[in-house]
Amino acid sequence: MEKEIIRLEKINKTFTGTKIINNLSFSVQRGEILGFLGPNGSGKTTTIRLINGVIYPDSGQISVAGFDPVTAGNEVRKRCGVLTESAGLYENMTALDNLLFFAELYEVKSPLSRAKELLADFGLSDATKKKVGIFSSGMKKRLGIAKALLHNPEILFLDEPTNGLDPEGARDLINYIKELNRKYQVTVLLATHLLKQVQDLCHRFIFIHQGRLLETGILTELEEKYLRSISLKVETGLEASGEEFAGYRIENRAPGYLHFQLEKKDDIPLLLKEILLVAPVYSVEMSGRDLEALYFKIREERR
Amino acid sequence: MKTRAVKAIIKKDIMAIGSNVQIWLPMLLIPIIFSLVLPGVLIIPARFYELTTIGNMDTILKLLDNLPPGALREIILSFDTVNKKMIYFAVNYLFAPFFLIIPLMAASVIGANSFAGEKERKTMESLLFAPVALPSLFWAKILSAFLPAFFLTILCSLLYGLMVNLTAYPLFHALIFPQPNWLILLFWVTPALSLGAVFVNVLISAKVKGFQEAYQLGGLVILPVLVLFVGQITGLLLVNTVFLWWLGASLWLIDLIFIKRVGERLNRDKLFASQVL
Repeated sequence: MEKEIIRLEKINKTFTGTKIINNLSFSVQRGEILGFLGPNGSGKTTTIRLINGVIYPDSGQISVAGFDPVTAGNEVRKRCGVLTESAGLYENMTALDNLLFFAELYEVKSPLSRAKELLADFGLSDATKKKVGIFSSGMKKRLGIAKALLHNPEILFLDEPTNGLDPEGARDLINYIKELNRKYQVTVLLATHLLKQVQDLCHRFIFIHQGRLLETGILTELEEKYLRSISLKVETGLEASGEEFAGYRIENRAPGYLHFQLEKKDDIPLLLKEILLVAPVYSVEMSGRDLEALYFKIREERR
Repeated sequence: MKTRAVKAIIKKDIMAIGSNVQIWLPMLLIPIIFSLVLPGVLIIPARFYELTTIGNMDTILKLLDNLPPGALREIILSFDTVNKKMIYFAVNYLFAPFFLIIPLMAASVIGANSFAGEKERKTMESLLFAPVALPSLFWAKILSAFLPAFFLTILCSLLYGLMVNLTAYPLFHALIFPQPNWLILLFWVTPALSLGAVFVNVLISAKVKGFQEAYQLGGLVILPVLVLFVGQITGLLLVNTVFLWWLGASLWLIDLIFIKRVGERLNRDKLFASQVL
């Protein structure tokens, strides 16, 4: 089986005079969880729509599992499950009826058992017969994902899946996506602007801004490339006056804490060794190395 | 055509009618008024009073006297009382346009809900993201407004026939309804008209933001029929069999042209742009 499942080549899309997608090219590997990151309005949703063939590009080529979404859209859509930002559910219908309806559209075999299984998986068994209109936004999101999974898609598109979820709901969802990917090798394209929640989930990241690809890579690669200095927050009894300690720059200080700025990861054990010679160390935390810091850095440099 | 998807969409849309009071209430009230109340208030008093004493009936009486030669004129003239003449004329001809208004109204309301409602509730996106070919989606949506409108009309006609015959039998000692023109109206003109009304709603829904707006604009479809009604009362456009055949034929032709044109233009990208974005 081909490793590459989605490929976009030089895609352009203009809508009412505004260029939304600008010469965008990237590919998604089968079985990976791809973080598709960018601020609101950067073209994430449009890209998902283009890949699913519900809108057509002005120029460029898209291929999904070997099919062109423009000419063989239904073949593409059969293989894809999409959670749209608004979840797209019928509020006047019950959770079960919503799933049964979409099961018909996606030609799911034994719809009832599949729907019930998914409702149980997403903790919605008690709400089976309740109308979606009274659901909380978290419940709607969960039902929306259940809907997207009805036909066991090869590729799952999640557009801002954790938006509107409480931290617990977001964590549960992320664990479910992880398991789905591990168990069934579902390829996941996860579009979000909430970086913190997805940094441990995604195998690889794509950063877009104003419809252009800014950068792509795995976290360590990107860190290597963009984060040239490290902020280290050390909880310590060390009393250091002055701008440096043992040759390492002190960036900031708070009672009981010192913030060091280091040039590379390898400096961490060396610094700690120096401190421990004269004072205790209670905790060490590396900051400025998360996805968010990376994101701002990439935006700053590549824009 | 994917029958599974088509059936599911039709079923969903018909079920949705029941959950929206704005839709089912007019669909319940107007038929009751047209099929039960209206013939009732005309026929029941007519069994006891001279209709001419109730109000000014000159216009209609003049119309009855000046009917063009033909079957209707002969039947009407064969009745011995003014009451009988008036009842026969009213239930078979005068009220006929109401049974054009019922399917028009139903098709407009359900159609507005089916298309603009889908857009308003942001569910059109889900439908377009599904692997359902556009012709299937299009026909499912058309049928989900057309079928209830058509069956509602048939149901109303049955009720109307029952009411008319029950109340008028003591007077005529015969069944006076339906006349052949009704069958042409119900099975030839009404379906064509309902389908046309659904199409008009498809066009309206493509341009508006929500159900309310579509519903109001859809009202414009009913106006031409009201004109027809007024025209008929004044004797300008007496609905006769030949006219009905031609009316139905031209409506079917318009429907066909519409189907062909829409079929050629169905495009997911354009539909998405107009219904979702």
